[in-house]
Amino acid sequence: MRVLDIALKDLLQIVRDRQTILFTIAMPIVFTVFFGLIFRPGGDGSEARLPVGVVDGDAGGALSAVVVEMLEASGAVEPVAVPLDEEGRAADDVARGRLTALLVLPPGFTEAALLGGDPQVRLVTDVADSTGHGARTLIERAVLRALSAARVAQLSAEAAEGVRPFADAAARDAYLRDALRRGVAAWRDVPVEVTMREARVAAEPDSPPAGGFAQSSPGMIVQFSIYGLMTAAGALVLERKVGALQRLLTTPASRAEIVAGKVLAMFVMVFVQQAILVGFGQVAFGVDYMHAPLGTLLVMVALALWATSMGLLIGAVAREQSQVVMYSLVAMFVLASLGGAWFPLEITGRTFATIGHLLPTAWAMDGFQNIVLRGLGLASVVTPVLVLAGYAVVFFGLAVWRLRFE
Amino acid sequence: MKLLDIALKDMTRHFRSAFGLVMMFVAPLLVTGLIALAFGGLAGDGGFSLPQTRVVVADQDEGGDAGFRAGGLLLDAMNDPDMASYMVVSTAADPAAARQAVELREADVAVIIPPDLSAAVTTHDGSAVVEIVHDPTLTLGPGLVKAVVDGVVDAFNGARIATHVTAAQLAEQGLPGDRVVGQVAMRYAEWVQAQGAERDRGEYAAIAIQPPPGVADDVSLGARIIGTIAVGMVLFFVFFTAASTAESIVREDEEGTLARLFTTPTSRSTILAGKLLAVGLTLIVQTIVLILLARLIFGISWGRPLAVTMVLLGTIVAAAGFGVCVMSFVQNTRQSGPVMGGVLTVSAMLGGLMTTGIPNLPAALTTVTLFTPHGWALHAWKLAMEGAAAGALVAPLLVLLGYGAALFGVGVIRFRRRFA
Amino acid sequence: MSSQAISIRDLHKHFGDIHAVQGISLDVQQGEIFSLLGPNGAGKTTAISILSCLLEPTQGDALVMGHSVTRESAAVRAVIGVVPQDVALYPDLTARENLLFWGKMYGLRGRPLAARVDEVLETIGLTDRQKGRVDTFSGGMKRRVNIGVALLHRPQVIYMDEPTVGIDPQSRRNILDSVKELNRQGMTVLYTTHYMEEAEELSDYIAIMDHGKVIAYGTHPELVRIVGEQDRITLTTSGDYDGLLDRWRRLDGVSRVSTEGEDTVTLLATDGNIILPRVFEEATRAGVRIASVQVQEPNLEAVFLHLTGRALRD
Repeated sequence: MRVLDIALKDLLQIVRDRQTILFTIAMPIVFTVFFGLIFRPGGDGSEARLPVGVVDGDAGGALSAVVVEMLEASGAVEPVAVPLDEEGRAADDVARGRLTALLVLPPGFTEAALLGGDPQVRLVTDVADSTGHGARTLIERAVLRALSAARVAQLSAEAAEGVRPFADAAARDAYLRDALRRGVAAWRDVPVEVTMREARVAAEPDSPPAGGFAQSSPGMIVQFSIYGLMTAAGALVLERKVGALQRLLTTPASRAEIVAGKVLAMFVMVFVQQAILVGFGQVAFGVDYMHAPLGTLLVMVALALWATSMGLLIGAVAREQSQVVMYSLVAMFVLASLGGAWFPLEITGRTFATIGHLLPTAWAMDGFQNIVLRGLGLASVVTPVLVLAGYAVVFFGLAVWRLRFE
Repeated sequence: MKLLDIALKDMTRHFRSAFGLVMMFVAPLLVTGLIALAFGGLAGDGGFSLPQTRVVVADQDEGGDAGFRAGGLLLDAMNDPDMASYMVVSTAADPAAARQAVELREADVAVIIPPDLSAAVTTHDGSAVVEIVHDPTLTLGPGLVKAVVDGVVDAFNGARIATHVTAAQLAEQGLPGDRVVGQVAMRYAEWVQAQGAERDRGEYAAIAIQPPPGVADDVSLGARIIGTIAVGMVLFFVFFTAASTAESIVREDEEGTLARLFTTPTSRSTILAGKLLAVGLTLIVQTIVLILLARLIFGISWGRPLAVTMVLLGTIVAAAGFGVCVMSFVQNTRQSGPVMGGVLTVSAMLGGLMTTGIPNLPAALTTVTLFTPHGWALHAWKLAMEGAAAGALVAPLLVLLGYGAALFGVGVIRFRRRFA
Repeated sequence: MSSQAISIRDLHKHFGDIHAVQGISLDVQQGEIFSLLGPNGAGKTTAISILSCLLEPTQGDALVMGHSVTRESAAVRAVIGVVPQDVALYPDLTARENLLFWGKMYGLRGRPLAARVDEVLETIGLTDRQKGRVDTFSGGMKRRVNIGVALLHRPQVIYMDEPTVGIDPQSRRNILDSVKELNRQGMTVLYTTHYMEEAEELSDYIAIMDHGKVIAYGTHPELVRIVGEQDRITLTTSGDYDGLLDRWRRLDGVSRVSTEGEDTVTLLATDGNIILPRVFEEATRAGVRIASVQVQEPNLEAVFLHLTGRALRD
């Protein structure tokens, strides 16, 4: 069939261009690794802990130990001990972003808390910085816990005093400190705990979180499907420039056949690229696409269809190779970032996340993530696939309308 | 001078093309604007508006003595009007239903309150676990919910500990404790509430918050965030333009005009030098226009004048060298497209230009960035934007000049070998 | 020596295994129009590239206005104008901008440059299109600008490499006329082409090249005499003419018989009118039908065919 001949010829041209292959396959893999490591390095628990400097002016004080212990145990924050005389440097580090925050526990902190002074710690941090927010909350909790241990001690002493007054100040003090010791010990083994985990269907309850690659792998597939079109669109533009496209029209092949052949070639290329990346993600990074193979396949097909329609549109509209590069790169930047391929849409503001979901890329991400992150099945990809197909239809329509053969 | 003629001719061609103008000016500003919009909007008020988190609660708490229902208190805290803009709370019949709601994406977070919660709070040996299950793609919303739950649970824990310690100590003294223990719990609860109230009002006395030194208060947050992002994008498109301008050597070779130039009395060295000069001059124009426009549109403050000049110089030299070097490996314009797209994106990524908006990057990445001229340029710009004085920028400037000279050298040698 | 514009001595150029130019020696006198005639791949463009100082010869040398192309390249380039085969202009600049730029490359500046550009625009007939971008021009107009660029510095010698390929007859006529005009003004023209008519019309001297060598050289009448003023008879036949060709060769007055494709035969003969009936006779005897006949009096194509057995145009 002529359509197949045209498609095969196009594919042959693409495959022959070794640099294309390099950039269409190798680059996405490199990016996947890169972004996967950035956001959550592996699901083995070694998550990115925010570094928080701690100046312990109250060395030896029971309460400062409570604070530091709690920060340590949180797993989200990494306390970094800062010597007293390096407080200034540490504060600069906060300004530079090397430390998320700096906590300064003043001398006599424990005493002040215990004996009813005004215990006050200093926290050097950029309040407007949203990523430090979690660290701040944690620090507040830790400080509150320390203060509460002191408060417990005070209450116990007051209660005891109410039953029978102390012999002297020293006896009271001893009682107080004993209470503090017990309180601190008790806080180490709290009665009520709070646990949090990701909802994953069909996963073991204790399995580790999917890891950063489950975000970055689909993200890179989505982004690079657009990048891959740059070559396909470029080939179309070149063919038009050298007159070969026009020449095709003088043969018995109809316009429809020619367009179909080219579309088929682009589709195959994008699909194969996706297949390689999906396979790579599954085998090398443990991203579970094969959890719902039919669902994954449907999303891949829908994404390839939409990407092809984009490629055809760019090829139809661009006059020069340089224009192809320009449109493709800008489209890639915009669609990938707004679609949630680079970073989860959740961490952006409300407006951005809403706008993002108008884009086909966001739906492709949804489709993939439903499978690999949420562990859902075939039914969950139906809406994303339909949206992608809808966009593809629109883009194809535009492309065919604008396509000139000469 | 013929050198200048050639350079100006190249620049005319580049500045006349729509492609050139888009990639030099429009694209970097557009992408910066978009990403800035992503991370908090251009309002610059620092307000961070999370999407509302949908929470479903399965309250199984059986309650404790005297009608005490810990579960109910927890639910009340989440339903607090102050929380309304952050969470919308619904209830589920049982834990399975709650988890399913999250799996089916009808809710973002499920909070499962165990039947023995009140028992754990009131009795001596009791323990309980409150379970939170969240949609895997979310981190901030669930974090917020956990913070609220933690706060309430900590209050429960504290009360329990208070009574426990008091009772234990009194027992040891051989004193009766029943009467006072209940009071202790109440007094602790009052104290915790007071602390909470202080925090909510933003006047928490126990923690004094200070901004880090040098963080300019007059520059709005929006401008600061956008500034970091803008740097990354500006640098990316500066390096791109360098390669794009250097590409003209390859393009002229194809067009035949390069060979024709060689048949004129102008020496080949002059011709090559003129084209290389075009790269430098184009970058000068681009960088100056971009930083002025960025300042105008986004309110970005780039730093002290001398520092900025030094950084500009280093960036231009490094980028020019990079562009020339990359193009010297390209045979024809068919190759140059993918090469420019590919090499530029990878090196930009390695240089940290794509991730400028993300703080606290792994140390390994920061080290890698310093192997690229991009990384050093970024580093220098960040220093300048933090208000560094010229002295602090001498080292990065020298590194950038070194990189630029080395890369430039490689490129020139290759081009000479090819043409001269 | 002093009246020689170009003097080529045993010039060789090898590209690996390919011998593009194999030992050519020529002299072009000042004020001449000299043509290099030959089919594609004969080595004409390579020879021009060497004379333009774009390529170094593997062996041999050439002198242009007394300067060696290998040792005095800058001096050579100052006196030559080069019109390359493919249009070499900046498509996104206007005709005027192109001319101004190239003028500067030839060392012209300021008001003299502007004046000269006006003159050249006049010469090539594009004064009212000077503000148009070159990529909006027709093929013929582009070629005219292409020539204009080479004239700016009033070179003493101008090389024109197949300047009329693929353009309309009107533009071709313009170019041929301007070549004659330039020559009338004293310019030496080295002109390469594979169009025999152009070589015939323009040249004082013609050198025929094939496979890197000069296989014949002289004025038009001298060259034509090589084929002895023989007529060229071109026939198309139907049917198998094996054996017939030998019979034809043995005819009195036929000097050469060659075939082109499956059914075209070319004969060189002293007098076409006399030979033709005999040709037909033999054909009838062999049972071969002759579909068409064309008789062509001697010209350079015939010379080429005689010397190489192949057609000038492939």
